Amino acid sequence: MSLLEVKGLTKSYNGNLAVDRVSFALEERTATALIGPNGSGKTTTLSMIAGLLKESEGSIQRDFKSGVGFLPQYPQFFPWLSALEFTEMAAQISGVDGKKVRQQSMRTLDFVGLGSAVNKKTGTFSGGMRQRLGLAQAIVHQPKLLLLDEPVSALDPAGRREIMDLLKSLQQDTTILYSTHILNDAEEMTDQLLFLKEGKLVEQGSLSEVKKRYAEPRIRLRFETEQAAMQFESRKLWPMIRDRHVIALPLTDEGPAMRQVLAVLANEESGIAGIDRQSASLEEIFLKVAGKR
Amino acid sequence: MEESKLLLLLLPVLLIQLGLMIFALIDLIKIPYTNGPKWMWGVIIVVVNIIGPILYFVVGRRNY
Amino acid sequence: MNQFGVLLKKEWRENLRNYKLFWIPAVFILLGITEPVSNYFLPQILDSVGNLPEGTIMEFPVPEPEQVMVAIMGQYQLLGLLVLVLAYMGTIAGERKSGTATLLYARPLSFKAYFMSKWMMASIIALLSVWLGFLAGYYYTYLLFGSIDLMDLIRFGFTYSFWILLVVTVVLVASALMPNAGLAAAVSLGVIVISQLVDGLLGAYWPVSPLKLTAYAAAWFENGPDLADFWWTAGTTVLLIALLLVLGIYISSRKAASTKI
Repeated sequence: MSLLEVKGLTKSYNGNLAVDRVSFALEERTATALIGPNGSGKTTTLSMIAGLLKESEGSIQRDFKSGVGFLPQYPQFFPWLSALEFTEMAAQISGVDGKKVRQQSMRTLDFVGLGSAVNKKTGTFSGGMRQRLGLAQAIVHQPKLLLLDEPVSALDPAGRREIMDLLKSLQQDTTILYSTHILNDAEEMTDQLLFLKEGKLVEQGSLSEVKKRYAEPRIRLRFETEQAAMQFESRKLWPMIRDRHVIALPLTDEGPAMRQVLAVLANEESGIAGIDRQSASLEEIFLKVAGKR
Repeated sequence: MEESKLLLLLLPVLLIQLGLMIFALIDLIKIPYTNGPKWMWGVIIVVVNIIGPILYFVVGRRNY
Repeated sequence: MNQFGVLLKKEWRENLRNYKLFWIPAVFILLGITEPVSNYFLPQILDSVGNLPEGTIMEFPVPEPEQVMVAIMGQYQLLGLLVLVLAYMGTIAGERKSGTATLLYARPLSFKAYFMSKWMMASIIALLSVWLGFLAGYYYTYLLFGSIDLMDLIRFGFTYSFWILLVVTVVLVASALMPNAGLAAAVSLGVIVISQLVDGLLGAYWPVSPLKLTAYAAAWFENGPDLADFWWTAGTTVLLIALLLVLGIYISSRKAASTKI
């Protein structure tokens, strides 16, 4: 059985469906990225799994007893507690054995890079430090399931890199479900992709599965000059997209077959510098999924 | 009533008043944000007797 | 440590570090001192500021020491209660609104431990404040007006303590119920004022009512309240507090989803 199984999960507010019959399963020690435009129900889904919101319909089945770890998008701490005091309190409420509380809290704070700030009041923390402490309180009790709502979106590129690396190292013994709108992150750490749109799960599968489904391979023609590319474009042989001196030819049903393209190019004299094939990026897939009805 | 006895009676009141003011000022300096400008609360704490520091703790301070 | 202990420690640190542990007792002590002092100096103050014609003789009845203590309680009923309401209105509502509660609620939190730890800390500070204030007032009253029987004072403070505990409980339940601190304060004050009005208008018909606790407290300085009425009232108050506590635990659990995520 999967670690977590969600069936027909639904949340409605006064008749408006924030999450609409979402079903998926999380296998042990996998990372699942929840992506979708703003307001698509990512936070609501995570909150229900974290137990903060009661589902209107559907079920969430867990195959484990220990608590989950939850990091909200903007974690709020009691400003008058130090990082260590807060982490210890979090560990204690989550049932960490009394003797291990101090050691486990210190180790966790060290792990997230707050080792030198354990006695500082959280009220003085910067955005990056808050995110680290947020992660620390989510993992201090060593939960089997980690829920992260936009864990890195508020950070600068360097901080984002560091936190992503931390998360990847956690992945070895934790199951992670996280939402993000930064698709490079999703591409970097994901065994399963869940696309939400207007509360509905519109696409799901592994990264390679989803990519295959939306593959739409294309031929990229690199011209020596922009002018040559423009000239080629003006002949309007097929649907094509030009970006400066590069022209992309989607290989769809309406588009050309590879054979036809090669035949044309064989007689072409307008300085082609290179040809290659390209598959769609997650970002393009995202835009496509987000746009389709 | 002699002046000295009056003073002795009011001394604890003055001490508490002073204590409240000092606590409030220390807190005001340490706290990153208040409801409304910080300087204004500084003035209120120092100028308005007794009520000033209490107003600060109840209204000015962001407690949660 | 169990959750109640952990959360009580958190409440302790909170009340210590946002100075509630100091300023709330300070207010009650100041009120306790001001009443006897201003009563004592009232004739002189009027004398020095008033433009009374030369030779006017004003007769001020010198209050009995017991009356001064009752007057202190009167101050607590106005300013003291206001201070307690304002100090604890956000205990739960504020935590939810700012989102600090979210990281607690996302854990296997016992709402019983959560609510009771807050109630315990607020009650301790409220009782500490009232008693320190009464003792300060008692001392000043002794200096300026004469002595009061200590047992009477203890009975008086004990009786008023029931009322203060009830007020603290009402504030915490309101804070669990309302979406923000301001509304929680409005509801608490509304409940206190309206029930006092109702009891004031119709209270002659029932001797057993928490709202009569202040009257019974003052009565210890006279011939003492009717003992049966007093104990029934005290018992009813304790029962009411217990019911409100159960309600508060239930509401804070039911309303947990309203925390800012």
